[in-house]
Amino acid sequence: MEQTQNHEVIVTDKVTKIFDPDGIPVNALNGIDLTITSGEFTAIVGPSGSGKTTFLNIISGLDTPTEGKVWLSGKIISEMNGNELSDFRRDNIGFIFQAYNLIPVLTVEENVEYIMLLAGVSKAERHERVKKMLKAVGLEGVEDRLPTQLSGGQQQRVAIARAMVSEPTIILADEPTANLDSKTGNDLLEMMRRLNDETGMTFIFSTHDPMVMDRARRLITLRDGQVDTDETK
Amino acid sequence: MILKIAFRNIFRQKRRTILTALAMIVGFTLSSVFIGWSDGTYSNIITTFTGNRIGHIQVHSKGYLDKPSLYKTIDNVSTVGEAIQSIPEVEAWSPRLFTSGIGSVNEKSTAVQIIGIDVARETKATQFDKKVIEGTTLAETASGQAVIGKGLAKILAATVGSELVIFSQAADGSIANDLYEVVGIMESGNAITDRVACYLHIEDAQQLFVLEGRVHEIVITVSKINKVAMVTENIRTRINDPLLEVSPWQVVAKSFYKAMKADQQGDAIGRVIIMLIVAIGVLNTVLMSVLERTREYGVLKALGTKPRQIFSLVVTEVIIIAIASICVGAILGILINYLLSINGIKLPQEFTYGGMKFGTMYTEVNMRSLIIPAVTVMLSAIIVSLFPAIKAARILPAKAMRTH
Ligand SMILES: Nc1ncnc2c1ncn2[C@@H]1O[C@H](COP(=O)(O)OP(=O)(O)OP(=O)(O)O)[C@@H](O)[C@H]1O
Ligand SMILES: [Mg+2]
Repeated sequence: MEQTQNHEVIVTDKVTKIFDPDGIPVNALNGIDLTITSGEFTAIVGPSGSGKTTFLNIISGLDTPTEGKVWLSGKIISEMNGNELSDFRRDNIGFIFQAYNLIPVLTVEENVEYIMLLAGVSKAERHERVKKMLKAVGLEGVEDRLPTQLSGGQQQRVAIARAMVSEPTIILADEPTANLDSKTGNDLLEMMRRLNDETGMTFIFSTHDPMVMDRARRLITLRDGQVDTDETK
Repeated sequence: MILKIAFRNIFRQKRRTILTALAMIVGFTLSSVFIGWSDGTYSNIITTFTGNRIGHIQVHSKGYLDKPSLYKTIDNVSTVGEAIQSIPEVEAWSPRLFTSGIGSVNEKSTAVQIIGIDVARETKATQFDKKVIEGTTLAETASGQAVIGKGLAKILAATVGSELVIFSQAADGSIANDLYEVVGIMESGNAITDRVACYLHIEDAQQLFVLEGRVHEIVITVSKINKVAMVTENIRTRINDPLLEVSPWQVVAKSFYKAMKADQQGDAIGRVIIMLIVAIGVLNTVLMSVLERTREYGVLKALGTKPRQIFSLVVTEVIIIAIASICVGAILGILINYLLSINGIKLPQEFTYGGMKFGTMYTEVNMRSLIIPAVTVMLSAIIVSLFPAIKAARILPAKAMRTH
């Protein structure tokens, strides 16, 4: 990869998160310093409870750090208010969750369209982009189905299409393959990697699955809320 | 988009939608029938009250209503009558003359109120003949006859055929004194007036009191009770006489009208209770739905949907259900009110109101019975959905998505 063209997308500075729901403080993150550059295809791994989800939530502004700062595209997101964050997420982050990703009452096409609708993209352009994106994830012909009429793998592909369609700075995926069988999961990762190659969009995903880890270009291991290892292949 | 999602959610959660709608429909219909019934009862009372006694509109000489006097008369009866008759909504008009005096039959005497009536007109306006329970009604021409109230007949021990002597003072100061034959005994439905009422032909009365051509009151009935205000105004302009006063029944029977208004206020409590039941039902289902869809709202928010948009999504769903329920409720309400307005409801026991007896009650189909429930259902639905909507808007996506 031509590192020279790449810039910093996410920078975290001593990010700490302490959960204290019932008086017993849990140190989910313990001073994480990481830099993610554009075009990365990075896996965050680690044992259950190591802080993967918490980390992804904090770098996407879904959660706020107890201490430390997060820069996303040069902006400190930990200091934004609710409405700013909504718009910032809409424009900069594509989400893929483990399950229940899609809005159940909207069709495949409408789900993919949703974020662009929020952003006020014109109808013609929405249509164009949705069509292109669904083609890219291999979902032509199911545009008018509801999520419940799709297989798990297909649903995750819709989620990928939705995450990528508005061309955000970064795609975040928390265990995107956990609910899929290994072949489907593998195919999905294959596709994400291809899209990463083609578009240069930044992908960060967490996973438990060794097969999935193998496909990552950078592997960050968390342990007890700290970066254990960080290797680039 | 919000509208689209709201609509589809409504169809997705059929059971919940039906439950919510049912609470609203039942509330609307109950409230609508309640109002139709209450309004029907009151217009029934008003119709009886005005139709039998005071008419819908009355004309007096200025100040007569506040302080009646023998001398405050309407002197141009026929011109006024013609002006009134020329209004198409007027059904009938009837002049009256009121004085008081002493009435005696044999040895017994008591104070009486003498009411001179134009028999033919009074029969048309207030169905005077129907009130005569014994003997006959007055002849249409002046012939020295009297019809007296039931209570008065008892006090004077008078029967049909008795000779009644009336003694009083005439308008010119002379002594008014004459002899009349009791041809009938009447019951107006108001026992108090029946103890003093003595009806004479208006010309007999005018002669007795030296008030030829003059009357104290003109009673007017109109074809539709809701036209009273309009006709009153119309009569005022047509008569155009500063010495005369035209008053609708609400003014003539001020205390009766006020008492009725107060009773109607009481009905509002019933309505509030019905709406509370609706509100609780709606709150329950909406809260449940928000709780169940926490994850979904979390996803929507994570994607960049603003709290305010989530808020309006929840409220919009409720509003759509409310609109549909109001339509269904309106159809049911109109239908039930219509059927009951034709067939009526037979009361297990007659009741008396303002000295009148009622046995069967009829509801009424009117705008009030649609607008008031519609506004209350809509308002309570919106108010009740505010809390769940705020709850949904405040959902934290990170937390919402942890609950697998
Ligand atoms: N909202 C919360 N309230 C309390 N504790 C929390 C909360 N979220 C996370 N934690 C705790 O923080 C720690 C890290 O959780 P996190 O979900 O980030 O782990 P993870 O690496 O994603 O685990 P998994 O692989 O099981 O998804 C855990 O000990 C968890 O119990
Ligand atoms: Mg996790």
